[in-house]
Amino acid sequence: MRIGFRTPLGFFDTVRRDLVRRHPFAAERVGFVLAGATLAGQDIVLLARSYEPVDDGDYLPDPRVGAMLGPDAIRKAMQAALRTGSGLFHIHMHDHAGPPFFSKVDRRESRRFVPSFFNANPKVPHGVLLLSADASRGQVWLSPRAEPQEFAMISWPGRPQRGLLV
Amino acid sequence: MTWLDRQGFLGPNSVNVLTAMTVGVVGLSGGGSPIVQQLAHAGAGGFVAVDHDRATKSNRNRLVGMTPWDGLLRRRKATMAKRLIRRVNPRARVVALPTRWEDATDALLTCDLILGAVDTFKARAELEAFCRAHLIAYCDVGMDVHDLPEGGYLVGGQVALSLPGDLCLWCMGLLTEERLAQEASRYGRAGPAPQVVWTNGLLASMAVNLVMQLFTPWSGLPIRSTCIELDANRSSLGPSHKVRCLEGVVCRHYPLIEAGSPLFDLRALPKH
Repeated sequence: MRIGFRTPLGFFDTVRRDLVRRHPFAAERVGFVLAGATLAGQDIVLLARSYEPVDDGDYLPDPRVGAMLGPDAIRKAMQAALRTGSGLFHIHMHDHAGPPFFSKVDRRESRRFVPSFFNANPKVPHGVLLLSADASRGQVWLSPRAEPQEFAMISWPGRPQRGLLV
Repeated sequence: MTWLDRQGFLGPNSVNVLTAMTVGVVGLSGGGSPIVQQLAHAGAGGFVAVDHDRATKSNRNRLVGMTPWDGLLRRRKATMAKRLIRRVNPRARVVALPTRWEDATDALLTCDLILGAVDTFKARAELEAFCRAHLIAYCDVGMDVHDLPEGGYLVGGQVALSLPGDLCLWCMGLLTEERLAQEASRYGRAGPAPQVVWTNGLLASMAVNLVMQLFTPWSGLPIRSTCIELDANRSSLGPSHKVRCLEGVVCRHYPLIEAGSPLFDLRALPKH
């Protein structure tokens, strides 16, 4: 089973514009993407529905990490996932061009919080997305106990998904 | 040196982009056949060619690549499309499906863009709704001949690019409840719609132009949903004035929050 992630026109441009904004004290911004899902043969295609920025007041000061979210940030995102029947994808950005890669901290932290997203909606995959200035990557969980799968097949109108099946 | 060297202005990575792309073409007669032929020449790497119909001799005035034998043998249009593509590019990935598009959705879901050359507004509406639900770009091609009250005919048509997150065919006024109702009331009484190869060719070329601009944006201009109208009587082809007036309008017909299948359930899938 392969995983593809598709977005509407200009979706990541909107996300990048939000993530590059300076926060009063956090070193970086994060957000959440709500996504639907569909099957294409044996493969799963995830479909970006909306971007949910994190309110300034929902960050906590923590010098050990670039952005520490308070409980309200996660709660609001999970409520949005529940309300819309969506998968929830945490998203942040590495400030460079070229393919981004998850850091050790990224991997450790996402293993801690992503499985809880299934409490909001157990029917759809959840995960994390990572942007660079011009590329993207993701990890998806198909169950709260499964190992995440990494995917780079992220497409939008004009950018081929490089043949899921065909 | 490759066979695509003469289109290097499309960008240094254009050959890879074009080879990677998979294009669905629904309707492979007068509208769809010149599209698959041109996309094959342009280097598109993957095709899902869908048409449930078989060729008859009356298709030969417009179905590109058709021979008299195809009509006599009543060859499937999907098979003929595959032959047309492979003659140009033997390495193209082609899935030819001689079925209705509603039965080809698994293959169409793998496409980066779907071009529809279908006969009815109902089919257009359904195909676009499918594309919007799955965030697939849709390009619609349609040609029509109308009687003029003062005598003679008006030959026209349009190519509409409908991008998820931007204007749709309903926003552009190509689909209206009135048109669908009129079509439904004529159901079964309409004769064969007039079609000719040269106007279909113009519209197909414009559709391929939009596809190439979307995937290999050589102009640097932002790509948006658009509608290009053909007035064959005046030999004119240009952007729809109506769409120009819709600058800044947000599509309300297909909320992005509804993308995906409402029936999708991970727990019902085989063990992953």
